[in-house]
Amino acid sequence: MTGGYFEIQNISGGYGSGRVVRDVSISIARGEVVCLLGRNGVGKSTLAKLACGFLRPMSGAVQLAGVEITGKRPSENLTLGLTYCPQERVVFDDLTVAENLSLMRTDRRLDEFEPYFRAFPRLSERRGQYAGTLSGGEKKLLSFVRGLSEGSAMMVIDEPTEGVQFENVVRMAELMLAQKEAGASFLVVEQNLTLVDRVADRIVIMDHGEVALSAAASELDRQQILAHLTV
Amino acid sequence: MEALLFTQGLNVVFEALILAMLVLGLAVVMGLLNVLNIAHGEFIMIGAYAAYIVQRAGLPYWLAIPAAALVCGVIGLVVERCLIRPLHYEPFETLLATWGLGLLLRKCVELGFGRGYRSVEIPIGGSVSLFGESYPAYRLVLMVVAALVLASLFVWYRRAPTGARIRAMVGNPVLAEAVGIRTRELARNTFITGTALAGVAGVMVAPLTPVEPFMGLTFIVNSFFALVVGGMGTVAGLFAGATIIGGLQSVLSAAVSPTSAYLAMLLISILFLWQRPRGLFPRP
Repeated sequence: MTGGYFEIQNISGGYGSGRVVRDVSISIARGEVVCLLGRNGVGKSTLAKLACGFLRPMSGAVQLAGVEITGKRPSENLTLGLTYCPQERVVFDDLTVAENLSLMRTDRRLDEFEPYFRAFPRLSERRGQYAGTLSGGEKKLLSFVRGLSEGSAMMVIDEPTEGVQFENVVRMAELMLAQKEAGASFLVVEQNLTLVDRVADRIVIMDHGEVALSAAASELDRQQILAHLTV
Repeated sequence: MEALLFTQGLNVVFEALILAMLVLGLAVVMGLLNVLNIAHGEFIMIGAYAAYIVQRAGLPYWLAIPAAALVCGVIGLVVERCLIRPLHYEPFETLLATWGLGLLLRKCVELGFGRGYRSVEIPIGGSVSLFGESYPAYRLVLMVVAALVLASLFVWYRRAPTGARIRAMVGNPVLAEAVGIRTRELARNTFITGTALAGVAGVMVAPLTPVEPFMGLTFIVNSFFALVVGGMGTVAGLFAGATIIGGLQSVLSAAVSPTSAYLAMLLISILFLWQRPRGLFPRP
C-alpha cells in the first residue's frame, strides 16, 4: 500500500469494552475530502474519536503523513497537523466568542479571522458574547471557524452543519474547498447532503460499525446514498 | 483618637492583604479547578515550618520563600499525581481525600517536630514612624510584598491566556485537548501553583503566629469564609472576601473581642451560603 496522507488502518474500538467500530480502514489522500455517512449510531463519531486520539483503539493503527499517531493525545496530534472538531459541546460556553478563537494564540488580535467574520457576520457581531449564549448552529459555525483557522493539513469534522442555515452551509463548503485547494485533507462526518454534494471527493458509508460502501462521489447519485441512510 | 484610627486603618489593610495572600492558593485550586483543598492550611503550616528551619539554620530569612514554595510544590506534585488525578478532580471526592491528607500532614509534622509551639523571630525588627505614629516595620514590609504579589498575579491573570485556558479546560476537557491544551499538565501545574502559594503565605505569617502542627486549621477556616463571601474564580472576589473577612476580624477583635469577631464571621458566612452561595463576585 503506497499510503494516503491520513491512514486509518483496521481500526476497532469503542467505549469501555464495547466494540462500536469494527475493522474500519479509510485512506485519505492530500487534498482529498472524504465524507463519512451513515445512520445514527453506526459508529461514525466513535471512528472519528478513535482516529484523533480521544479514544484508544483496541486494535488497528492511525498514520498521519507517514507517522504513526495511534494512542497519541489529541493535543499532541494537533501539533502534528491533525485538527478535530467534535459533534457535541463544540465550543467553550464560559468563554466569549473572541476568547474561543484567540485562546491558543499568543496575542488576542482577531485580524486573521476577518475573512471568516466576513463569511459569517453573525459571529463577528457576537464576538463579545459568551459562546454559551449562541444558538446551536452558531456554535457549530464558531467551532468550524476555530478548526479551519488552525490551518492543519488534516481536519476531522464531526457533523459541522447540524442546525446551520442553508446559506451558511454553502459558505462552509466554499471555505473548505479553498483550504482543499491549498492542499488540506478532510474527513467529514455528515448527514447533510447539501454539504456533501459540494465538497465530497469520496463517500464512505458506515453501517453496524463497518464500512458498507466506499466510492467516488461522482459514481454515486443521491438516490443510492439516501437508500443507505434511510431504512 | 486620630492616631488610633490611622493605626487601626493600617491594621485593617494589613489583615485584608495577609488574608488575601493566605486565600490565594486556595482560590487558585478551588476557584479554577473546583477542588476544595482542605489540606490548604497544612501547606501554609509546612511553609511556616520551612521558615522556622531556615531561620534556625542561620540563613537569610527570604531564602525561606523559595524553600517553602519548593517543598509545598513537590508535595503538591505528589498529591496531584496520587490523589487528585486518580479521583478525576471530582469536587466531593477530592474534598474528602484532602481532608485525610490534612490529617496525615499534621501527624507527619508532629512526628518530626512534636506538638510544641515554635516561634519564628520577626526578621525585620523595629518600627517605622508614619505621620507621627510608629508602626511595626515587618508588617509594612509584608503589606508591600503581599500587594506586589497580588498585583502581579492579577495583571498576569488578566493578560496571559492561561486563566482562560484553565477555565476552558475545567468547562470542557475534551474540547480543550482538541484545541491543543495539554490538559493533564495544565491541571497539575495549576494545583502545584496553589500549594506553593500556600507555602509562601506560610513563610510570611510565620513570625506573627505560633508555629505548630495544628495552625493550619484556623487558616483554612478563614480562607474558606473569605472565598464564600467574595465568590470563586475572580480576582475581585478574592479581594472583596479578604477585605470583608480580614477587615471585620481586625476591627471587631480590637473593638470588642476576638470571639465576637469570629462569631460575626461565622454569621456572615452562613448568611452568604444561604442567600448568595456564589459570593459577591462569582465567575460568570
